[in-house]
Amino acid sequence: MEKDDLLITAAQAQLALSAEEAGRLETAVSEMLDYFEMMNEVDVSNLPPTTHALVRENALREDNPNPNNNQEDLVNRAPENEDNFIVIPNVL
Amino acid sequence: MAASTSYETFIGLEIHIQLLTETKIFCGCKSKFGDKPNSNVCPVCLGYPGVLPALNEHAVELSYKVCRAMNCDLAKEGMFERKNYFYPDLTKNYQISQFEKPFGRNGYFEYESGGGIKRIRFHEIHLEEDAGKMIHQGGRSFCDYNRAGTCLLEIVTEPEFKEPQEAEDFLQAFRRTVRHLGVCDGNMEEGSLRCDANISINTPGAGLGVKTEVKNLNSSRFVKKALQYERRRQEKVLKSGGKIIQETRLWDEDKSVTESMRTKEEAHDYRYFPEPDLPPFRPDQAFFDMIEKSQIELPLARKQRLTEDYGLTPDQADYIVEEKAAADYFEAVVALGADAKTAAKWIMGNVAKELNRIDLSKADLGTEKCALSAERLTKLLGMLADNKIHGKIAAQTLAAIFNEDKDPEVIVKEQGWDSSADEGDLEKIVQQILDENPRVVEQIRGGDQKPRGFVVGKVMKATQGTANPQSVQSIIGKLIG
Amino acid sequence: MTELKEHDKDINSFLEFASEDAAASVAASANQDGPLAGLTFGVKDNIAVEGMHLTCGSKMLKDFVSPYDATAVRKLKEAGAVCVGKTNLDEFGMGSSTDNSALAVTNNPWDLECVCGGSSGGSAAAVAAGLVPFALGTDTGGSVRQPASFCGVYGLKPTYGVVSRFGLVAYASSLEVCGILADSVDTTRKVFEVIKGKDGSDQTSIDHIPASADAETVAVLAGDLGLKPEVETAYKKAVDGLKSSGMKIIEVELPMLDYGIAAYYTIAMAEASANLARYNGVRYGHRSAEAGSFEDLMRMSRDEGFGDEVKLRILLGTYVLRSGFQDQYYTRAQKIRTAVRNEFDGVFTKADMIMLPAFPTAAFKHGDQSLDQFQQKLADKFTVAANLSGMPAMSVPVSVENGLPVGMQLMAPVFAEERIFKVAEKLAEVLPPAACPLSMAGQRTTEAK
Repeated sequence: MEKDDLLITAAQAQLALSAEEAGRLETAVSEMLDYFEMMNEVDVSNLPPTTHALVRENALREDNPNPNNNQEDLVNRAPENEDNFIVIPNVL
Repeated sequence: MAASTSYETFIGLEIHIQLLTETKIFCGCKSKFGDKPNSNVCPVCLGYPGVLPALNEHAVELSYKVCRAMNCDLAKEGMFERKNYFYPDLTKNYQISQFEKPFGRNGYFEYESGGGIKRIRFHEIHLEEDAGKMIHQGGRSFCDYNRAGTCLLEIVTEPEFKEPQEAEDFLQAFRRTVRHLGVCDGNMEEGSLRCDANISINTPGAGLGVKTEVKNLNSSRFVKKALQYERRRQEKVLKSGGKIIQETRLWDEDKSVTESMRTKEEAHDYRYFPEPDLPPFRPDQAFFDMIEKSQIELPLARKQRLTEDYGLTPDQADYIVEEKAAADYFEAVVALGADAKTAAKWIMGNVAKELNRIDLSKADLGTEKCALSAERLTKLLGMLADNKIHGKIAAQTLAAIFNEDKDPEVIVKEQGWDSSADEGDLEKIVQQILDENPRVVEQIRGGDQKPRGFVVGKVMKATQGTANPQSVQSIIGKLIG
Repeated sequence: MTELKEHDKDINSFLEFASEDAAASVAASANQDGPLAGLTFGVKDNIAVEGMHLTCGSKMLKDFVSPYDATAVRKLKEAGAVCVGKTNLDEFGMGSSTDNSALAVTNNPWDLECVCGGSSGGSAAAVAAGLVPFALGTDTGGSVRQPASFCGVYGLKPTYGVVSRFGLVAYASSLEVCGILADSVDTTRKVFEVIKGKDGSDQTSIDHIPASADAETVAVLAGDLGLKPEVETAYKKAVDGLKSSGMKIIEVELPMLDYGIAAYYTIAMAEASANLARYNGVRYGHRSAEAGSFEDLMRMSRDEGFGDEVKLRILLGTYVLRSGFQDQYYTRAQKIRTAVRNEFDGVFTKADMIMLPAFPTAAFKHGDQSLDQFQQKLADKFTVAANLSGMPAMSVPVSVENGLPVGMQLMAPVFAEERIFKVAEKLAEVLPPAACPLSMAGQRTTEAK
């Protein structure tokens, strides 16, 4: 992978890579991508893709509310919270 | 509606409706607007480590119901995918949505615009989860995830509206329709119905131009205004030799302009891939039958039927069909034997006034909130038609029904508003008044019609307002000649 | 509990022990008539136990305490078993040695200089050391079976979906499943009976419809498999063991295995890139103290919170999903996934089971340069097929070579767990598993009656 591509990918993945880190990971990324090239040897033209290993019936949940009582506990786990809001630096 | 432009306009809408489910799409948290921040949240909708989505059956049913009503091809296999982007209102930093296999495709919808019926085609309809909400204040943003994971249905039209007015007309008709279907409350201010618009212009015959997307449109009127503004802006740019930049613009309702969001909009690459946590949904015939059965007569068709079958004016029919409850109520009243035109007139007139007085609306007609059941209105109109009471008494009785929650006959009887006097009794009363007022009799005989009113007034007084003024008139004629 | 901690000092298989009080009160209130009454167990620290940490071996979640129980954990508790603590792992399950844990180093109880395997290394080491009769692990590409082999214990990767993933912190959702590391086939079976079954909280979960438990023919691989001598020897011993138990052996080839590795890592990393996107310092977990803007907060929290291997996989996973690259990598990998499944389906028309090595080596030393992270990934070639196809597989200890245990992997069609258990029991009769020299006396339950 080109360095530029690595940086675009890191931006998409929201990872702040230091130059040193980028250098270190670049080799490992390329090594793996080179290995992935092997997949081109397989004739996949008549193969459907598999996402779910086992074919299953429909799975649906009834529209009934769950009682949940620990919302405050959940909000309190946030690194910063105030008046029941979870707080972060201004996004705009 | 001749376009004042030498360009061809292409407008498309992207509508999101919040489905009226009890719970969120993937967890059992309540789907409710206006609660205390982060009070309807759980590990699932907060995107905690280790949790999994569990798809809400009702959300799927409502989605297919809409797709069917919008004449879509219904998916025999619907699938969810992950749409990857980072934003703090999105708890997993991917949105579970649909991409390759949405529930509905290739639909269309007919609506009234410019005095005729127009048709807009839908590209697709898909189900997804909504994001949370943020309030930005000073240096900080405050996140509330009550809305995160509520059920959202996205409807994407083809870019085929030619005029901003069409987009507005469509949106109003669409809103009315989803309300009739009972799938969404259609409240644009609260955001349960949201609309983004895209618009491009081009020289006629050249096809789509470069489009801009306009957001922050929280009423159908703003949709029209924003599109009108945006079309003028694009025309100016093109006429001055400039180029339209594909971008997202925000409607500023105070300034009535659209403004570029000016964000560093990296080309979005959502990296969609199939959601491994949810199996595909493959409805069986029973499910399709159930969806078919859930279909109702849509408002436009109903309006046409009300005008054709009952002779209502388009305005009357529009008024009644605006709310499904009102239309059902109207038809119930007619089915119980009331005259359709009279019923319509009353529902639009006196009944509307009374509802307004007690802070109800026509959407409450036929519900328990509303004392004026279809039976009661029918009886009231029946008494009127049979001349048991006349118009003014009927109006009083109507108010009394709302105030006292009683049947109209009971009220009329209790109040002694019955046109007790039958024709014979009434004739005696008129005769007595004529006898007491010989001058008036002479004047009428002499051709002066004015004193007739005097006599009617006296009779009304004598009967405490229950006498039918028309009957009194005809008796005067008969006695004096 | 004190005894457990003391014995774990040199091994370091647990990241957290339940408090004395908590364990005592749980034990007192436990279901005394449940099928697992009295049994203690450990839980890999990427599976949620209410009130205990859920670190995933990551700085990102170092202080995170779970507000809920995973379904498998809840079922175990209901069956009378008592959770004594959380075991170490490679960060978010990404690795084959447990050395990718950001929080602790776990040593192999057979040789403290060696790794315990991974990513469920802590669970394997804890069982081998006799600290618990069984522990939960997770298996995404061999993460239960490989450490089981390294530590000389049993390690079951059930049929995909048969054990609920609710509460398992996702790495690669379509591949992984909760698994069992145990001191005997019988313990494995009992635990499996308890935790299996459809769960409303995991809509990819399914009921277990047992396949035939009969096995007559076992397929094995022919030719040079690139195994280290100790594994080669153990494989031969195991084949002989099967023959002497009356099994018929046939030799097969599996040309898709190498492609399986490429497909497996493509899919696993793609899913990981999305699964790990939620860790951004907003709602829980590590938040960078350095950041001013929101953008910085998110990127720096992720950069500081994740280790190198996790970042590598997120980067690769993001890349293979990018538009323009997705068809070439991700979509192709999903098709190869189908081909791998087809290849195994073909084998199972001729054989009831297939036996493969769990890993080409026995446990290696911490920091072994000859087996870097990349080489370790390629070495997963025998285990990932079960994850790609959804089939069950179990690592069974068959031999001790040069003082280190070596396990073999029995793999069968979906729902044929009982068939695997039966053959594993036959193997145990002819090749009885050796006790780990560092095992805590008296803690190991006895072999099945």
